[in-house]
Amino acid sequence: MALDERSSQIEQEAVRRASSASRSLAAAMPRLMLEARRIAATVVHGLHGRRRAGTGENFWQYRRFVSGEAARYVDWRRSARDDHLYVREQEWEAAHTVWIWPDRSPSMVFASPLVWETKLDRALILSFALAEILVEGGERIGIPGLMRPTASRNVIDKMAQALIHDPTARASLPPAFSPSPLSEVVMLSDFWSPIEEVKDRIAQLSGTRAHGHVVQIVDPAEEAFPYHGRIEFLEPEGLGSVTAGRAETWREDFIARVERHRAQIRAETDRLGWSFIVHRTDRPASELVLALHARMGERGDGAPGTQTPGKQMPTTGSAA
Amino acid sequence: MIGGLPIGFAQPLVLLGLLSLPVLWWLLRLIPPRPRRIAFPPARLLFDIAPKEETPARTPWWLTALRLGLTALAIIAAAGPMWNPPVATSGGARPLALLIDDGWAAAASWDARVRTGEDILARAEADNRPVAIIPVSDAAKGIALQPTAAARIRLRQHKPKPHTIDRTEALPALARFAEATPDAEWIWLSDGIAVERGADFVTAFGRLMQGKPLTVVDGGTPAVHALAAADNAAGGLSVKVLRAQTPLNDAGVVRALDLRGLPLGEAPFSFGVSGRETEATLNLPVEIRNDIARLEIAGERSAGAVQLLDKRWRRRTIGVVTGATADTAQPLLASTFYLSRALAPFADVRLGERISPSDAVTRFLEQNVPMLILADVGNIVGTARERLVQWINDGGVLVRFAGPRLAASDDDLVPVRLRRGGRVLGGSLTWEKPQPLAAFSREGPFAGMPVPGDVVVNRQVLADPEAGLSERTWATLADGTPLVTGARRGKGMIVLFHVTADTRWSDLPLSGAFVDMLRRVVALAGTNAVEAAAAERARETLAPARVLDGFGAFTAPPATARPVPANFVQRANADHPPGFYGPPEGLLAVNTLTALDRLQPLDVSALGARTESYRLSEPLDLRGPIFLGALALLLIDALIVFWLAGGIGRLARWQRPAAVAILVVALATVLAAASLAPHHALAQAGGEDFAMKATLQTRLAYVVTGDGETDNVSKSGLAGLSLFLAQRTALEPGEPVGLDIARDELSFFPLIYWPVVPGMSKPTPQALARIDAYMKQGGTVLFDTRDAIIAPPGPGGETRSPGMTALRDILSALDIPELEPLQKDHVLTKTFFLLRDFPGRFNSGQLWVEAIPNENSDDETVNGQPQRPARGGDGVSSILITSNDLAGAWAMRPDGQQMLPMVDSEPRQREMAYRAGVNIVMYVLTGNYKADQVHVPALLERLGQ
Repeated sequence: MALDERSSQIEQEAVRRASSASRSLAAAMPRLMLEARRIAATVVHGLHGRRRAGTGENFWQYRRFVSGEAARYVDWRRSARDDHLYVREQEWEAAHTVWIWPDRSPSMVFASPLVWETKLDRALILSFALAEILVEGGERIGIPGLMRPTASRNVIDKMAQALIHDPTARASLPPAFSPSPLSEVVMLSDFWSPIEEVKDRIAQLSGTRAHGHVVQIVDPAEEAFPYHGRIEFLEPEGLGSVTAGRAETWREDFIARVERHRAQIRAETDRLGWSFIVHRTDRPASELVLALHARMGERGDGAPGTQTPGKQMPTTGSAA
Repeated sequence: MIGGLPIGFAQPLVLLGLLSLPVLWWLLRLIPPRPRRIAFPPARLLFDIAPKEETPARTPWWLTALRLGLTALAIIAAAGPMWNPPVATSGGARPLALLIDDGWAAAASWDARVRTGEDILARAEADNRPVAIIPVSDAAKGIALQPTAAARIRLRQHKPKPHTIDRTEALPALARFAEATPDAEWIWLSDGIAVERGADFVTAFGRLMQGKPLTVVDGGTPAVHALAAADNAAGGLSVKVLRAQTPLNDAGVVRALDLRGLPLGEAPFSFGVSGRETEATLNLPVEIRNDIARLEIAGERSAGAVQLLDKRWRRRTIGVVTGATADTAQPLLASTFYLSRALAPFADVRLGERISPSDAVTRFLEQNVPMLILADVGNIVGTARERLVQWINDGGVLVRFAGPRLAASDDDLVPVRLRRGGRVLGGSLTWEKPQPLAAFSREGPFAGMPVPGDVVVNRQVLADPEAGLSERTWATLADGTPLVTGARRGKGMIVLFHVTADTRWSDLPLSGAFVDMLRRVVALAGTNAVEAAAAERARETLAPARVLDGFGAFTAPPATARPVPANFVQRANADHPPGFYGPPEGLLAVNTLTALDRLQPLDVSALGARTESYRLSEPLDLRGPIFLGALALLLIDALIVFWLAGGIGRLARWQRPAAVAILVVALATVLAAASLAPHHALAQAGGEDFAMKATLQTRLAYVVTGDGETDNVSKSGLAGLSLFLAQRTALEPGEPVGLDIARDELSFFPLIYWPVVPGMSKPTPQALARIDAYMKQGGTVLFDTRDAIIAPPGPGGETRSPGMTALRDILSALDIPELEPLQKDHVLTKTFFLLRDFPGRFNSGQLWVEAIPNENSDDETVNGQPQRPARGGDGVSSILITSNDLAGAWAMRPDGQQMLPMVDSEPRQREMAYRAGVNIVMYVLTGNYKADQVHVPALLERLGQ
């Protein structure tokens, strides 16, 4: 699908900016390790050792060669030391897959006069930083519908390439895909889509028992509504406009409406055991990365479903 | 024209657009301003919010007013406003009839009329309308429609007429034309003045113009003045100044000129607020008044503003000699009294009293009076008589009154032979009764006068009856005896009243007829034979000699001008244009207006026509400025909208660095400007800087005299010398310094060059005290009076030049040692170059130095002579005086060329001047050392031993 020239250019610049900014952000983050509990029995290697033999990179044990095995499995160096044949076994390691989805819809290209960065900038920086941290922690990062999970060292470049060359339309919500049961999903968006759509998408993604984090990135103007006078508010995604004769009288209603919207999202995430974080673009990006970092690391107890999600998820930088 | 302002509109209908302004106001108030459009991602949430009550923010009233003003300006500009709009004509292709008043009254503002006419023609040309140019004076010759090009040529070629035009004469032609072209549009370029029958014309013209479009153009030009009724009265020459428009308070000057056009005098006149006539009086001596041939209003070019005077206005001086020396005992009964009173209205009377009649006659003849009255004088004897006869033959008029002395005398200076002794009528011894005056002779000058009934003659002298007596008799009594007789003698005339000039013999002096008779007799005076002949041929006509054109200038008479009768006293007309008629010695003046004419404003209100006024200046199209104003308002409106939308704040945020930069630049500019203060002001302000500058390098200094050229030469001269020094010697002086001796510190400078400027104020005592101290402390001042070339020649002349005088004035306040001319062996001559003299631009001046004291004459003498250098070497002369303009010789332009020429064109002299400068500088810097050098031979000699 053809994107219009200008928005794609904006996005490419944002990606370029974010990929450099996110490196410095990621470098400042502690190494992120996800607990072994979250490791699924997958064939894919990862850093989370399963304490059993399997495919992996680290040495686990030598065992006797069982006849019938392919001769190439024989570890000839070890076997040469005595009369038996040994097979070298690696520890079975499984990598955690984290799906990061930054919203790149037109509504994200918004920066009020109060801030310097658009929401898109912030979402991409966060995505890249998170990816870098997680890859350093041995996780695999993927972008739903865009990039298969990878643990490549230059994950930022790969993500950037993938994002730049994405020919599809920029949707406001992640595509419907099926994350593996134990993978994590991080959605970075403003979530101004109708609550039903948001709920449906979260429910659909959590259908495979994947865990997830819903990060709402908002501009401070979208919370404080600092407008007055006669203003026509345009929906950036072409869904029409609304004219406020005296915008200042709309402020309270709008703030209440935003609260309601968030409460609905939060109710859904709580129900599913996901987390919901609100991030404002006038706050430092590291704040959110730290919060996500903590979120991802704190799940030490129990399997999904048995855990009790916090009633009040702390929201970083939320003024509400 | 709108409200008196000369503003008009090319498209007045467009102004109806102003009516839309209230509607616009309502709309602007009703329609809210365009909302700001803001992309707002959570707008979808706003969709859910119930719309508030929409009370739109209204445009501020002043913004609305601004926009309305803008619109109004645009509408006004579109209507084509003009300052001094041309006279409006209706459109269409109807013929245009341009009626032009072209009498003298139109002449003064003829240019404005022609311009207005051309404006109208230009418009007619654009509309392709035929035009009839109808000058009122020419209307009777026929009126025809012309193309505009031809009409324009006719308009330009037409000149105003010098006479008053009777507009009614044009009426038949106008009526014919109006009938022939009933659809014509009429424009009357009126002069607004009626001299005669103005109202008749307006009435008749109004009937003609019934239902026709008519525009009357009048006003807008300076008021028209005219001169009339000049009167050469006893006190002065008075003339009436007339005008038609009353509500004007104007004034002017009447100028009098003689026949050759030379101005003789001026008299101011001024009108009150409402008067239509006023008087200007020229107070000039009678002789000069009699030379006046032309009166005109200064600055008003029209024939009406000119009054021509001929001999009729000339005022005669009449000498009155009486034979009765005792008359003055009862002056009110004296004949001189009656004569003076009777002659005063039209002549100046000079009385010859208290001297003998012969002496009085002689004196009057010397004064060259044209007419002499002898009241009861018997015989004139001696040389006086001869001169009198000669005078009469040359054209003098002698009027004699009878009396006892005349009756007793035997004199032939009478027109008729008289019987000795008088004739008494009505006396106790006579039968006759006193006789009344019966008739005036038809041939005599009294012809036509009414015969007064109240004149009774009691006594008279009788003429001998002889042939020709009746021809010479001008007035007779009832019994046929002559009362007044006159006869021609040579070019002159002798008139005899057979009665006395007082009331002893008759009642005639008490009668009004006496004044008239004298007036007519006086009118004869001053006329020579040709005039007299002309006067005799009363019915003769005079050909025009010089006539006035419409603008009041003399021209050659046109072919249409016809001769006038010699007694022509009417108003000038087309056949008889105003001007001088007749031979040069007997000019007859015909004036535009007669003495009784008055100007009346022409009341055209009865015509019911549109009135316009003349345009004195070019129409000015106001569209440009008004559109510019609208554009400015538009700009302001844009700025306001920008500001209302919050744009200023954003701009300010972006521009803050730029603003800081601008501020920095402005501050730097101010500082730079402050640093451009005058040189010595800086020296004073930064005394330390000045001291550093003066001492870090050896510098030559000059005194700033305040004379810019001198200071410039001094500075360039010292700069040139500095360069020369740097080239030739080890000394490399810095830039020369200009010193204000009153303020600057002097002690830094070894040598101060002081050019003396004569006429400059002497320095203050404080400044001189500083100079004194400087010289006492070892400084040297080189005074240069720069005037060796203008010094008076001869020994000691140099010291008497103005510069030396000024210098002496300065030095008188200083403690100056004894001076002497530079000796040949002075140290100065040897300090660097070996010099004999010290030339500058001049070579003749002497260099004066401090005299070397002589008291140590016993110290070192060679052959008994004091060795000056050796003794003078200890001190450097603190004062050097020259007059050779050294700096002038040294002065160089920035390009290295010499600034001033040498007086002696020998190039070597400049070189020598530089060398002199080097020697002087070396002298002041190293004076005693150089003086020691003269010891060297002696020292070497000593060492050798």
